[in-house]
Amino acid sequence: MTDMRILGIETSCDETAAAVVVNGTRVLSSVVSTQIDLHARYGGVVPEVASRAHVEMLTPVVSQALLEAGMVDGAKVDAVAATVGPGLIGSLLVGVSAAKALALVWDVPFVAVNHLEAHLYAAFLEEPDLDLPLVVLLVSGGHTMLVCMEGHGRYRLLGQTVDDAAGEAFDKVARFLDLGYPGGPAIDRLAMEGDPHAVAFPRPMKNDGYDFSFSGLKTAVVNHVRKHPEINAADVAASFQEAVCDVLITKARRAAREIGAKGLCLGGGVAANSQLRERMLDACVADGLHAFLPSRAMCTDNAAMIAAAGWYRLASDGPSSLDTGANPSLSLAVLDP
Amino acid sequence: MLVLGIESATAQVGCAIGGHEGVLASAHSSRAKRHAEILTPQIDFVRRQARIELREIGVVAVDLGPGLFTGLRVGIASAMAIAHALTVPMIGVASLDLLAFPVRFTSKLIVAAIDARRGELFYAFYRPVPGGVQRVSEYEVSSPDDLASEILAHSEDCLVVGDGALRYHEVFDGLRKVELADFGFAHPNAASLVQLAHAQALREQWVRPWEIVPLYLRKPDVDINWTTRDSK
Ligand SMILES: [Zn+2]
Repeated sequence: MTDMRILGIETSCDETAAAVVVNGTRVLSSVVSTQIDLHARYGGVVPEVASRAHVEMLTPVVSQALLEAGMVDGAKVDAVAATVGPGLIGSLLVGVSAAKALALVWDVPFVAVNHLEAHLYAAFLEEPDLDLPLVVLLVSGGHTMLVCMEGHGRYRLLGQTVDDAAGEAFDKVARFLDLGYPGGPAIDRLAMEGDPHAVAFPRPMKNDGYDFSFSGLKTAVVNHVRKHPEINAADVAASFQEAVCDVLITKARRAAREIGAKGLCLGGGVAANSQLRERMLDACVADGLHAFLPSRAMCTDNAAMIAAAGWYRLASDGPSSLDTGANPSLSLAVLDP
Repeated sequence: MLVLGIESATAQVGCAIGGHEGVLASAHSSRAKRHAEILTPQIDFVRRQARIELREIGVVAVDLGPGLFTGLRVGIASAMAIAHALTVPMIGVASLDLLAFPVRFTSKLIVAAIDARRGELFYAFYRPVPGGVQRVSEYEVSSPDDLASEILAHSEDCLVVGDGALRYHEVFDGLRKVELADFGFAHPNAASLVQLAHAQALREQWVRPWEIVPLYLRKPDVDINWTTRDSK
């Protein structure tokens, strides 16, 4: 089989990203322009600000990705893949429009990619030999889901959050503790100096099915700090993080046991959290599971994972139509088991 | 030199290809909210109708707005990507200039007005000059009533053109010396874009793709969308 170089484009939220990946595994370049500074003063992502920044940054980011991959004029790109959802509609449309236009000019296939599926392929970039079935824990600012992966493109949703996403809880607690934005890395850093057992925060729904709930935990943190204003913020951060990880890992292990999974895969922005990574690796060693853990840089939104997922999608489904649009509420495709 | 023109600033999305022989082919669709789905196949269709290959394109022209932000960006992002992939320069033209251009044979003062939603219009004033129109005001965003007051202050015959003028026609219908252009002129036209851009291309008045700056005329709304945040 000849090598296939895919240009991936990602603009679903607040990162403008482009990457060139060969055969879904070899990353030739991965460029990410983050808008964190643009949104920091609002404490969250402002959709119109994000869309404007994508228009401004996308051409330079694509140029840089092609340059770093040694393909200055794009002449050697074999396909263009882009995130079509889920995400912010105005932001998605910038990347989808540009990707389809590039595919049209270069006369190569366009591939529509599901952002959630791409987060899984971030882990497979480094571990392409899948051990199926896999239990996938997908945790980000927008999603918290537990999925059974039975093959490429074959997913069964086991459970998801009934209220806040895990990353959202991190952001909200960080904002309450005045740690700034984004909240995940801030809590991760502060927690290293704190005692994770200082406060016994609740573990919502820990032993109850596969769904998650984090809004009560956030409220418990707020109430506890209001009642004990003198408390050490590092202890609060560490105890909160411990409670989130405890719930996530407990459920993922139980799912793996009940399904008879061969491995555990972690994906999404929260997968960059040190404590969660450590707990997951420990769990995999203890339970004899193959761990699929993306590198930290590949946990947050990037385009290498889009190009990788695009390669598998192209192989299984063929090119997407040029009349493809964006779908802001796209879910992880669930095929018949 | 062949020019590909793309415009998507209003409920209409369109593209055209032309050069010194005039406009070779064009297409427009005004089935709103589907700009991204429509535009890429539309460019391919127009390219085939013009009987050219995309690599023969020497300049990509695009409507810079003002207009409806989401649709506008579909056209601009597509145009930038095409120019980037072809390594050709770009020419940006304001949507309001494109609206005024087709009615240049009038002797009246021209007012181009695009629906800006939220009860407002994007608008500008133009005078017909030999071969085109000349803008004689800033690009503005304000209410239809404000525009009506400005028109009255000019106290001369006016031709008001654009989807914004039609949407708020009751504001302009009663005004003396004011005529409303019909729906045939309601949206910026990609053929006009090609015509205007070709003249600029001959003078090499162009920019690089990353130098294209959309004309928003409004600061972004700052409502934070927690539920769809997906990173970190
Ligand atoms: Zn993501």
